[in-house]
Amino acid sequence: MVALVIGLALFFDFTNGFHDTANAMATPIATGAIKPRTAVALAAVLNLVGAFLSTEVAKTVSGGIIREGSGGVQITPDIIFAGLMGAVLWNMATWLKGLPSSSSHALFGGLIGAAIVGVGFSSVNLETLLQKVILPAVFAPVIAGLSAYVCTRLAYALTSRQDPETGTKLTQKRGGFRTGQVFTSSLVALAHGTNDAQKTMGIITLVLIAAGTQAPGSGPQLWVITACALAIAVGTYAGGWRIIRTMGSGLTEVKPAQGFAAETSTASSILASSHLGFALSTTQVASGSVIGSGMGRRGTTVRWNMVGKIALGWIFTLPAAGIVGALTALLVKTGVVGVLIAAVAGSAAILFMFFYSRKSSVSHQNAVEVEEAGQAVRFAKKKALARARAEAKAKAQADAGATNPKENQRLSGWNS
Amino acid sequence: MELLTVAGATLVSAAVVVTLYSLGVRFTAIAADAQQTSPRVKRSFANICFALCGAAVLFGLYLIIPYFTK
Repeated sequence: MVALVIGLALFFDFTNGFHDTANAMATPIATGAIKPRTAVALAAVLNLVGAFLSTEVAKTVSGGIIREGSGGVQITPDIIFAGLMGAVLWNMATWLKGLPSSSSHALFGGLIGAAIVGVGFSSVNLETLLQKVILPAVFAPVIAGLSAYVCTRLAYALTSRQDPETGTKLTQKRGGFRTGQVFTSSLVALAHGTNDAQKTMGIITLVLIAAGTQAPGSGPQLWVITACALAIAVGTYAGGWRIIRTMGSGLTEVKPAQGFAAETSTASSILASSHLGFALSTTQVASGSVIGSGMGRRGTTVRWNMVGKIALGWIFTLPAAGIVGALTALLVKTGVVGVLIAAVAGSAAILFMFFYSRKSSVSHQNAVEVEEAGQAVRFAKKKALARARAEAKAKAQADAGATNPKENQRLSGWNS
Repeated sequence: MELLTVAGATLVSAAVVVTLYSLGVRFTAIAADAQQTSPRVKRSFANICFALCGAAVLFGLYLIIPYFTK
């Protein structure tokens, strides 16, 4: 049973890496700052390193949310198996339906649901749950968004150049941010490793504690850390190939300066949260940043109903996965037959998901989860802005063209 | 309380990194201007900004990684 749970947990970790590479590395690949192959390899390595950096989140999962025992309530590997199965099934369902969801929250939901049904309400440490999972889940995307908004404003203000004499806009030359994105994306990949790989470590540690092979309250063992780090790195590397295939389909328009600000905010908020043991959904934080940085650009309006749809998906994930986890726990409680049914159903679901994903065409919608957030910000005045720019450009060219033909050429590189 | 720490750390660190990098980009742009009298000075300013930005990131990581702070 323990081996089964560990295998399932590592698989969960693998799919997590598989899905989330796109979030970190899509923009620099799209802007051509880095070669796809290099980007994917870099993301994999950084996820591996990130997983080793901190174990705070793992401790939150293993020791905080579920009271694991020692006089209190004893949780069994069966319950954890049920919770994990619930999370996997819920993830598959949302993925097939194309609903925005968070695999991290599905994991917690499934675990909590299974624990409540399997052991009772007292097994869940509500205080830690509220402090380290639910509040950060609401708070972190907002903070990342706010930070991205401020940073986008800062980046644009600091690099906007105007001719001191005529007041016309000079070429902005923000191309430097493209190179910068290579570094910020790497930081996001690193942050992803510090938060997402930890969740699986926490689950495996929880199983080991529940099985009695590890002392309650202790951190993850080295082989657990290594296994999880490897699983997420391999998943990242495998998942990266999907992005390469989708590069032709185009992404939401994100300018390098904007992407730089968004990614910096994402990375810093995730790293700060990981350090304090907050178990976040990296996708949610990244989405918050994308929306925030979109608002920071001039001439944008937010599609609030789109934001609402995303937020609703987030809110539903935890309880819904909880219900699935609870149902699985009921099944598992009936005995060996129940466990067998759950295992068969789960592996069937995973296999189905695998083959379905191979068959269906990959578009950027399902490769990049943050894509949804990108669509929530509309560049309404874009045409008007472009027109104004073109007019200014024509005027500047008329002025400069007579005296300096070289200047003329430079101005045609307006948007770079 | 911990949430406020996260908020503060996020805002400050992201703002510092973005500010430094933006200044670097700006100095690079100025240095490339045709009429610029001292492009080399501006270029070195830009490089200093990029270096500071990198240092800020490394310092942030240094604070986080338990191996260094223990």
